[in-house]
Amino acid sequence: MASNAAVPFWRAAGMTYITYSNICANLVRNCLKEPHKTEAINREKVHFSISKWEGGKPQRPSLFDLIHLKHELGWENCSLNVIME
Amino acid sequence: MVIIPATTGQMGVLPGHVPTIAELKPGVLSVHEGNETKKYFLSSGFAFIHANSVADIIVVEAVQVDHIDPSLVQKGLAEFTQKLSSATTDLEKAEAQIGVDVHSALNSALTG
Repeated sequence: MASNAAVPFWRAAGMTYITYSNICANLVRNCLKEPHKTEAINREKVHFSISKWEGGKPQRPSLFDLIHLKHELGWENCSLNVIME
Repeated sequence: MVIIPATTGQMGVLPGHVPTIAELKPGVLSVHEGNETKKYFLSSGFAFIHANSVADIIVVEAVQVDHIDPSLVQKGLAEFTQKLSSATTDLEKAEAQIGVDVHSALNSALTG
């Protein structure tokens, strides 16, 4: 029953299974009819809310996407892995 | 019964199937219940078939086949076929190949 191919082509090119499966999923989402397409793409967006604490109270939260979050925290050189359900 | 798109080929799973784990390729999952058949397109993933007549199908994206837009599939197929011929690095080639594979599978899901 084992696959005859020793290593899949995407693995040979240095991709991980996560990278491969996320590329596949993105391509599928992009081929949907509306409104399913917008719904599926929006579902994948990730935002972060940050509040500074002053005098024991949280201040107004700011919303960031991943790139702006790294900038806000000075983490430009870090890689951040977000695990979603 | 379910028919799952395993990398080794289409796999029919009935109650009492021998326990196994199968890697899935982009393709159609059909779920047969009585006279009704539901079809879903799976992006990729794994199927776990347990000894107690339970099968888990784990995927990133599963969509109803009738939610797929045929014109976008054709457009994507043409785009990635072109990218495959112009790709230079191994990574570019692999990305283009995935594009061709997924769109071909979407296309056969709509036509087949």
